[in-house]
Amino acid sequence: MIELIKVSKAYSPDVIALQNISVSIDSGEMFFIIGMSGAGKTTLLKLLCSMELPSNGLIEIGGHPINQLKGHKLAKLRQKIGVAYQDFKLLTDRTTAENIAISMEVSYKKPQIIRKRVRDLLEQLGLSDKHDTITGELSRGEQQRVTLARAIANSPTMILVDEPTGNLDAVTTERVMKLLKKCNKAGATIVIATHDDSIYRHTTHRVMELRKGSIHSLSGGLSL
Amino acid sequence: MSFWLTVIRQVGRNLRQTWGSQLMTLLTVSLSVLIFAFFYLIYSNMLNLGDKLGDDLSLIVYLEDEPGPELQQQLTNKIRTFDEVESIRFVTRAEAYDRFAVQLGENSDVLNDMPKDFLPPSIEVIPMKNLRSLNQVKLFSSYLARLPGTLKVQYGQDWVERFYYFTRLLSIIVLLSGTLLILTTIFMVAYTIRLTILGRQAELELLRLVGATNNYIRTPFLLEGVLQGLLGSSFGIVSLYLLFQWIKLRFSGPGFLNLFEFAFFSPWVSLTIISISILLCTVGSFTTMQKFLRI
Ligand SMILES: Nc1ncnc2c1ncn2[C@@H]1O[C@H](COP(=O)(O)OP(=O)(O)OP(=O)(O)O)[C@@H](O)[C@H]1O
Ligand SMILES: [Mg+2]
Repeated sequence: MIELIKVSKAYSPDVIALQNISVSIDSGEMFFIIGMSGAGKTTLLKLLCSMELPSNGLIEIGGHPINQLKGHKLAKLRQKIGVAYQDFKLLTDRTTAENIAISMEVSYKKPQIIRKRVRDLLEQLGLSDKHDTITGELSRGEQQRVTLARAIANSPTMILVDEPTGNLDAVTTERVMKLLKKCNKAGATIVIATHDDSIYRHTTHRVMELRKGSIHSLSGGLSL
Repeated sequence: MSFWLTVIRQVGRNLRQTWGSQLMTLLTVSLSVLIFAFFYLIYSNMLNLGDKLGDDLSLIVYLEDEPGPELQQQLTNKIRTFDEVESIRFVTRAEAYDRFAVQLGENSDVLNDMPKDFLPPSIEVIPMKNLRSLNQVKLFSSYLARLPGTLKVQYGQDWVERFYYFTRLLSIIVLLSGTLLILTTIFMVAYTIRLTILGRQAELELLRLVGATNNYIRTPFLLEGVLQGLLGSSFGIVSLYLLFQWIKLRFSGPGFLNLFEFAFFSPWVSLTIISISILLCTVGSFTTMQKFLRI
């Protein structure tokens, strides 16, 4: 479903974030990207949701190259991709519920459906009491979960999560992973960038390690 | 359905966020519409007045000699080449004498000693009853004065000219205030919408990332422009109407206003002014989006 062929990304001539990345990720797969800080994990996710354009190479999603997508088509594609950003990108002057609702509002979901979905997600992430709190007042761990809730709220077919457990304790991490696995069971392709080895140590899914922008190793895949 | 619900929610949010400048814009739009409509109201009433005054307008061309039928035909053709006219009538010396006698009434005996042909023959030209002929009556009269065999042309020179200049002046004022209206509405609306856009950069950025379409992002701003135009111009028109009623009440009785029927716009004209304002405001918001909401 996701094809990357010889993809490179240079931010400026001397900052080469990704080099010669070729990998295919299947529909419905759960895929881990690991690597040290600065290895290029976030950059790879940004390319996948076409927030950044690759300097070289081809990226296809569902058989369509996304490099040249613009306007309405790009918007439609992005509605199908849920992204939990490493820097959250929450609207800090809005409530938790409003932040989560945004991803559903852009595809004109009915208000009562949105309300129900928001309550469901908050329940599953242990944030029920934060429904009407301004997100600027939440702790980092809470903000992280709100970001995740926003990413999966619109039931996207592809979910990109950047460092989903960075600020979380073991119990909450478990909760988050349970939710992601549930989405995966429902058919969503999930790409997780992380350096938290507790979430990929015993996994049966494929794990790709980046080093200085290149693929260092690609292992696992027993589940396929 | 959910589309409009979402749009309306967004508009509400915008209004709350920048209500101060929104109010300023609304006021500016109302004021411009009020000023424009005020002058336009006077102007259109002047046009009506002109039509009425034009009813009694006639030009009298005094001739040196009584024209024969041949010459009459020639003169008629000449006059008609200048413009369509309502009627042309040749008045002979004898007819002029008789009329004069009738006008003098019981004093007509002063004419007893005069020869029957002491008055010159003339042509009475009645122009078409519209404002155009009123405005070009001066041109017409100098044209007639140049026809061979004319002594002199007479009409109500004085008031016609004054009226002519007055309506000219008014039309210039109407044009100016119309331009003012166009500029202020477009710029003020563009300005407030720019404020909103700049105040919500972060949100617009995020909206794009989660897949908001152009329509989703732009419709609220367009609707905001439409609302500004609708409310602003309706406000302006309504205040002008109230002002109009007040003046009518205040100055009713004998006086200037009773010289002629001073009437308010027909609903059609009011609607047209409102629609044009809406259009202008929409243009204002659209151009800002073209500049600041590139997607
Ligand atoms: N917008 C940018 N402009 C210039 N350089 C950038 C930009 N974004 C990232 N980089 C550089 O690209 C490289 C890869 O960055 P990236 O954010 O992808 O790393 P990462 O693997 O996500 O790291 P971390 O684990 O710390 O989040 C880094 O050297 C970084 O400095
Ligand atoms: Mg990163």
